[in-house]
Amino acid sequence: MIRFEGAAKRHPDGTVAVRGLDLDVPAGRTTVLVGPSGCGKTTILRMVNRMVVPTGGRVLLDGTDVAELPAAQLRRGIGYVIQQAGLFPHRRVIDNVATVPRLLGWDRKRARARAAELLELVGLPPETARRYPAQLSGGQQQRVGVARALAADPPVLLMDEPFSAVDPLVRAGLQEELLRLQAELGKTVLFVTHDIEEAVRLGDRVVVLREHGEIAQLADPHTLLTAPADAGVAAFLGRDRGLRGLGLRPAADVPLAKLEPAYEDWKLTLDQDGRPEHWLRDGRPHPVPVFAPARDTLRAALDAAVLAPSGHAVAVDADGRAIGTASRAAVVAALADEGAQVNHAGR
Amino acid sequence: MLDGEPLVRWHWLGDHLGYLAGLTGDHAVIALVPVLIGLLLAVPLGLACTRFPRLYQPLAAVFNVVYALPSLAVFVVLIPYTGLATRETVMVPLTCYALAVLLPTTVDGLRAVPEPVRQAATAMGYGPWHRLAAVELPAAVPYLIAGLRVAAVSSISLAAVGALVGRGGLGYLFVDGFQRTFPTPILAGIVLVALLALVCDLLLVAARRLLAPWAAEVAR
Repeated sequence: MIRFEGAAKRHPDGTVAVRGLDLDVPAGRTTVLVGPSGCGKTTILRMVNRMVVPTGGRVLLDGTDVAELPAAQLRRGIGYVIQQAGLFPHRRVIDNVATVPRLLGWDRKRARARAAELLELVGLPPETARRYPAQLSGGQQQRVGVARALAADPPVLLMDEPFSAVDPLVRAGLQEELLRLQAELGKTVLFVTHDIEEAVRLGDRVVVLREHGEIAQLADPHTLLTAPADAGVAAFLGRDRGLRGLGLRPAADVPLAKLEPAYEDWKLTLDQDGRPEHWLRDGRPHPVPVFAPARDTLRAALDAAVLAPSGHAVAVDADGRAIGTASRAAVVAALADEGAQVNHAGR
Repeated sequence: MLDGEPLVRWHWLGDHLGYLAGLTGDHAVIALVPVLIGLLLAVPLGLACTRFPRLYQPLAAVFNVVYALPSLAVFVVLIPYTGLATRETVMVPLTCYALAVLLPTTVDGLRAVPEPVRQAATAMGYGPWHRLAAVELPAAVPYLIAGLRVAAVSSISLAAVGALVGRGGLGYLFVDGFQRTFPTPILAGIVLVALLALVCDLLLVAARRLLAPWAAEVAR
């Protein structure tokens, strides 16, 4: 566990980056620090591995003041991922990943074997191992950055806007990958972002910061979106926070209707495997928006219902076969039910 | 040139092979030892400049001014201190010229390591010296070698001028040829200077392949 006890940072010129932070970061969970630029979130992150030395208070790692540990030893036990990946241009991907194990004194063969495992873990094909960082795409470099941070199996992972510099589609893939990895590895992750969407997607707990590293709200993503602590937090969350909250809830609770031969003027056609093909009206085909109850969120279900020309979202199983439909009214009813339950649970 | 004197007297070349080889070796030493010394000075100076950035502009200005001075004038000015016909008279200015080329390339190379790379290295537990040796210097190698190629070739050509102060490897062939209006040694000198420069350059390209294979692969 990481504990901040009145941790403060005042720059030599007198400006205050962090006024005095008290925060517990629980082990094995993902805690996201989110806030506007200049709120001190990166400074807070860097206090943990002593890239920034607090001018007041202290930071404890599993009960030990990080100031008491030799910097190199402390840092080799903490994974660190940054926005531009920061890979060594002169080392092949495999040797980039093997860096910390080598620093810890592993022999080259063992370090490379470990690095190869990690490349596989983060979803990079084996042939990338021999490449140099400049030969990879931004998204691939970021994956290498994550693999490198994990190489010596550190219990703590610090991530400073690791996915901000890649395009939205790649970012979504990397976020999904991180969720999968974290479910598997259970690291103590402290993640910094300015993107509230990313924060609620990745965080078990989200810490919303305002100026000088003051905590505006600390909550799980759901509570944050449904019950912001004050007008400032609500404004930061944005106008569509209700919609975004739907992105945290499973679509499994939407009641499905059986497939009908016809929906007023509309007819749904399936291919020979039972996958939806077209919505037909007057013989003209239209696309079929679908959602997968087993995997998707309420937001995806609502999206499919809104887009469906017939007004009925088609539910599909893992193989893409149609298993039922949900009308707009049915989806909206499910939203209301869920909302009532959450409010109840929140009280 | 005199009428009737052929451009090249081949038998003269045949008679003087050992002499020409000796001059070439001499030339290589006079031209390349200063480049080596320049490199040995440029790396620590470059490091100092990256650590104390205020140092760089004045230092670069000084060496640029030195670089702008005509070599022959500098040789002559140095004679009272180093003596006529000593190697130092030629090698001291050549070292300054090499440094004028190598200091900026060293600084560029060391600065070419992006800040996030530096920070990532620190965050992984590299101390400042370890990081320098393991990350910053290797990343600067292609820049250093690019600088060395320019410095070596220009030093080889400038060293020929050194013959005018009585010391000079292949440059002596030019002085000799002009004094005797005998073109063969002049042509031999030109060809040998060019060959020496070419061989040096090829060796440096090979060194880059060996020391910084990543630069070539990335450029592909």
